[in-house]
Amino acid sequence: MNAVVGRAGQEGPLLKVEGLAISDGAVPITTPLNIVVERGETIAIVGESGSGKSLTARAIAGILPPGINATGAVTLDGVPLMRLAESELRKIRGSRMSMLMQDPFTMLNPLMRSGDHIDEMLRDRPEFASRFARADEVKRRLAEVGIVDEDVARRMPFQLSGGMCQRVALAAALARDPELLIADEPSTALDVTTQAEIIKLLRRVQRERHMSLILITHNLRLAFSICQRVYVLYAGSMLEVGDAAAVERQPFHPYTLGLLLSEPPVDIRVPRLVAIRGSVPRAADVLDSCGFADRCDWAKQICRTGKPPLTALDASRFTACIRQDEIQGELDALRTAALSAAPMTPRRGETAGALVRVHGLVKTFVGERGRPICAIKDVSLHIMPGESVGLVGESGSGKTTLGRCLVGLETPTAGDIHVNGIAAADFDAMAKADRVRVRRTIQMIFQDPFSTLNPRHSVGQALGEALGASAGATSPATAERIASLLAKVGLSAAYATRRPASLSGGERQRVAIARALAVKPAILVCDEPVSALDLSVQAQVLNLFRHLQVEHELSYLFITHDLAVVRQITERIYVLYLGEIVEEGPTERVIGNPQHPYTRRLVASIPRSAIQRAP
Amino acid sequence: MHGATPSTGSTAISGRSGDGPSLVIFVTRRVAITIPLLLLISFGVFALVHIAPGDPVRSLLGARASDPATLAAIRARYHLEDPFLVQYGYWLWQVIRGDLGVSIQGNRAVTSIIADRLGVTIFLSLMSTTLVLGLGILLGAVAAFRRGTRLDRAIVMFGVFGISSPAFVTGIFLLYLFGVLLHWFPIFGPGRGFLDRAWHLTLPAFALAISVMAIVVKITRAAMIEELDRDYVTFARARGLSSRRILFAYVLRNSLIPVVTAAGLVVVGIVAGAIYVEVTFSLPGLGALTVDAIQKRDIPTIQGTTLLFSAFVLLVNLAVDVIYTVIDPRIRFGRVES
Amino acid sequence: MSVPAIGETRRTRQPLRVPIVILIAALIITGVAICAVLGERIAPDSPFLQRLAVGDTPPSSVHIAGTDLFGRDVLSRVIYGARTALVGPVVVAAGAFAIATLLGLVSGYLGGLVDSAIMRWVDFMFALPVPLVAIVVVGVVGGGYWTAVLVLVVLFTAPDTRIVRSAVLEQRPLPYIDAARTLGISKTRILFVHILPNIAPIILAYVVLDFAFALVNLAGLSFLGLGIEPGTPDWGRMLFENRNILFSNPVALLLPAGMIILTAVSMNLIGDWLFERFAK
Repeated sequence: MNAVVGRAGQEGPLLKVEGLAISDGAVPITTPLNIVVERGETIAIVGESGSGKSLTARAIAGILPPGINATGAVTLDGVPLMRLAESELRKIRGSRMSMLMQDPFTMLNPLMRSGDHIDEMLRDRPEFASRFARADEVKRRLAEVGIVDEDVARRMPFQLSGGMCQRVALAAALARDPELLIADEPSTALDVTTQAEIIKLLRRVQRERHMSLILITHNLRLAFSICQRVYVLYAGSMLEVGDAAAVERQPFHPYTLGLLLSEPPVDIRVPRLVAIRGSVPRAADVLDSCGFADRCDWAKQICRTGKPPLTALDASRFTACIRQDEIQGELDALRTAALSAAPMTPRRGETAGALVRVHGLVKTFVGERGRPICAIKDVSLHIMPGESVGLVGESGSGKTTLGRCLVGLETPTAGDIHVNGIAAADFDAMAKADRVRVRRTIQMIFQDPFSTLNPRHSVGQALGEALGASAGATSPATAERIASLLAKVGLSAAYATRRPASLSGGERQRVAIARALAVKPAILVCDEPVSALDLSVQAQVLNLFRHLQVEHELSYLFITHDLAVVRQITERIYVLYLGEIVEEGPTERVIGNPQHPYTRRLVASIPRSAIQRAP
Repeated sequence: MHGATPSTGSTAISGRSGDGPSLVIFVTRRVAITIPLLLLISFGVFALVHIAPGDPVRSLLGARASDPATLAAIRARYHLEDPFLVQYGYWLWQVIRGDLGVSIQGNRAVTSIIADRLGVTIFLSLMSTTLVLGLGILLGAVAAFRRGTRLDRAIVMFGVFGISSPAFVTGIFLLYLFGVLLHWFPIFGPGRGFLDRAWHLTLPAFALAISVMAIVVKITRAAMIEELDRDYVTFARARGLSSRRILFAYVLRNSLIPVVTAAGLVVVGIVAGAIYVEVTFSLPGLGALTVDAIQKRDIPTIQGTTLLFSAFVLLVNLAVDVIYTVIDPRIRFGRVES
Repeated sequence: MSVPAIGETRRTRQPLRVPIVILIAALIITGVAICAVLGERIAPDSPFLQRLAVGDTPPSSVHIAGTDLFGRDVLSRVIYGARTALVGPVVVAAGAFAIATLLGLVSGYLGGLVDSAIMRWVDFMFALPVPLVAIVVVGVVGGGYWTAVLVLVVLFTAPDTRIVRSAVLEQRPLPYIDAARTLGISKTRILFVHILPNIAPIILAYVVLDFAFALVNLAGLSFLGLGIEPGTPDWGRMLFENRNILFSNPVALLLPAGMIILTAVSMNLIGDWLFERFAK
């Protein structure tokens, strides 16, 4: 790459961020942060939502949203960026420092052909004055990001897949050969297999160009797998900084360990996920204490008497835990204990007496201009009483449609569904008594915690209505019954008066589970129930699902794209690809020894660092 | 030069064979919807004769002497002895051939009366539309870029006043301030010749424009604010594109789509407003003709102007929809569901 | 497509702070409402008493806003005019939305043939220039104030139905509706207990905005001498009757014109605020 020429031999780090503090008016979003990026280095800023990681990225690039302001110093190769005028900064953006954002579908101008996004970046350069020279260059740039189909440059963004859009955006971001790329969750909005491809691409491009890369992510495992150093950001403060391999081997901060452990492992089934209780606080609420103190098992008075500074333990390790030396032994022990395997004993391959039996299911939708879209083609499956079954697939696999057919939210085009022996393919055609019985047998948990509850109804109203629906209203929905439902999902009776707006995502999902449990179902269809939750909260909810299964002898159909989740919660899985089941078997076998090429690709897409891969 | 429109830099613009047919299908379908609508409206207009209180013959006769010969002539011309739908058929056939009947005042053909009055209304409407689009989009854009400032609040408040002030109320205030108190503008008549007419129609055009402009300001401002917050605008800034390029190729182009869809509202506003403004400023246009005809119960003239106004609104809406598909490729190419 | 955790923002309920502009607007509407209810007691003079010998006079100590062509007290007529300025628009806005809410709920939630039929009708009505149709129909049919109100109710129903329907369509795919369906909650209950409360703020905001639009339209009809019966004290009608005395007593025009704007501005401000605050 010609951009590399002339950079070698320069002194000092490429980017130095010193005391960068972001605030929304008077409300602080981050405490002063320090970040260093060497030339050709890849670092990660890891944090959950609300940590301030995306705004930090935008502050570095100098494109904060209106109303948000930053103080401190950002120095790029000796140039103090925050002291530059907007017109000066504009010359640096794109050519020395560029940025890639999260959602591939919203990053490109919907009215512009995808190739023009690269073309417009080249126009200032004299060698690309001619249209044809630019067209050639666009072709070359697209090839660099793995797009060889020349037609792509002429297509509109909405005609491209998410992965394709992200590649075009990357080519556009790199069109002026920047020395630093900030990638803000570049793969999160994509499908699992596409995610792996984009990350691989980013890594390749970074190496080939000898470019520096800041990866903003919530995924610690992903950070370990491709970055040299990681910065762990929590509620606006840096809690741990260090060499990626070293941090992975032995995290120094309880939060880093908690985050690492609440990410379910894919290779083993652990007895119980280590969850961090509660949820992420706002930076402004924890100005004078360790931001993690309220969720930390080791917190003492000293943690709350002031903001602990980030202190160096050795040349490459920093932690903000002031009790690190006292508790390190306990942290290490917890890690060893948490990663012990607890394999699930799969039941025999019996199929008699199945709770749910699906045979030859087909679902076709009417698409654009009356064209049929086949969401499910000939799917058969069964779920035994008390069995937890996974349905794994990416977007477009038809997994959600299948789940919706089971609970009667969609009517299949062809095929049979039997629930508890009752034919339940077409809810409208069923006798009323049968319909009621099926509804009391099978319930559903939905993905989006923010709209799963009616915002106008209190938690008590929602549960009361569900209780009334269940018993045929023979017994009234008393406060005691609502309280006992809430207790089942680990919430106190006081939640009955709360409105959804005042609940966190995890709390809402718990209420939604309680609502489904109100009718005492035998099986829950769970459609990505934890994928919209923060990692630390995800583990809590997964533990709850496991607890409920034992407690109520529930069956699950766990619909997800996440193999790690499925590994922890199911005994048997079906892999769904483009509306067809391509592989089926005990979870351990399918993930450990995948047979179908698609399943293999899926398993290979999970980010693993060197250490994890070793054994 | 970097073109302000993104297509300048692109390779082949119309080379794809997929573009054409879907656009043609869309336009054909849209035209096909317009024809029954036109028929329905013409039917409504025709029915006016019968919903007017009293005997249709009397309505059509007006002040003329009711001698048996005239009555018979009217019956014959409007086929009043035939069933209702047959009457409509005859009437529609005449309308299609350009015959809108005869005014009950002075026995003149409605078409020739309309032709006399058309000039003022067209002049007034064009002048207002220019003001509405030019000033409306400009003010909306300025407010969006200066969001939250005093200027923005002032523009928003102006918009609220505009929407709340019908053209005749604005007209009265303008007339009093600039005509009666300041004597800057004439307060009566349409003027002769282009400049004199523009001079005479300035106040009416503003009165008409302000209420309609408010809609455009409101929509432009909202659309622009939404666009400025978009990821692709942030991404464009992160890539160091010039602010001019971001303004024209990204923000303005995308936010004009909702503005174009509001063009239907603008046309309705202008047509209805023209009626009020012409009455307020005593201008001899189509609107004043309509009101005059209503007061004199001149059904054929009412039918003529109403038909003209409605057909015009319908056709402009049709044109807007076609323009809309051309500027928004998501519709042109047929959206791909993700 | 799996949605990742993007900004789990907790919306804490802030105490309701009403901007000063909205308070002033509410005060103005209250003032107009008081005039409408207590017109007889507040007005300094009879709005009907003609003094043909006096004729149109500019403001004086006796007649604060002067008199019109028939020597009637302008201020008293403006105060009495609050009645037709409030009653008609209230009936139009409330009536149109009552019908539109029913049609929109049914159309949006049930879909199918009912939906197609209702939407065809809405599309047709959308193709019409509302104020023109109102002028022509009221003008040709004749009839008074209530004919005009009725015509506006019919004309307003179509756009209002579209608003309600799209609000319903926004709620319909949300999981809380799916959850209610899965629990076997009845359609009526889903429509009225689940969906309606969630779209109520939008409806309320539009009712207020519709009021302003109806006020302007009714005043427009009166200004053309249509609808309202001659002699009735009405702001629009006053503009019609007094348009030739702009030189002798401009207040007879400017006062009712100002009242129309003031009332409409107040309602538009309140409506916009309701929309921003509760319906977004």
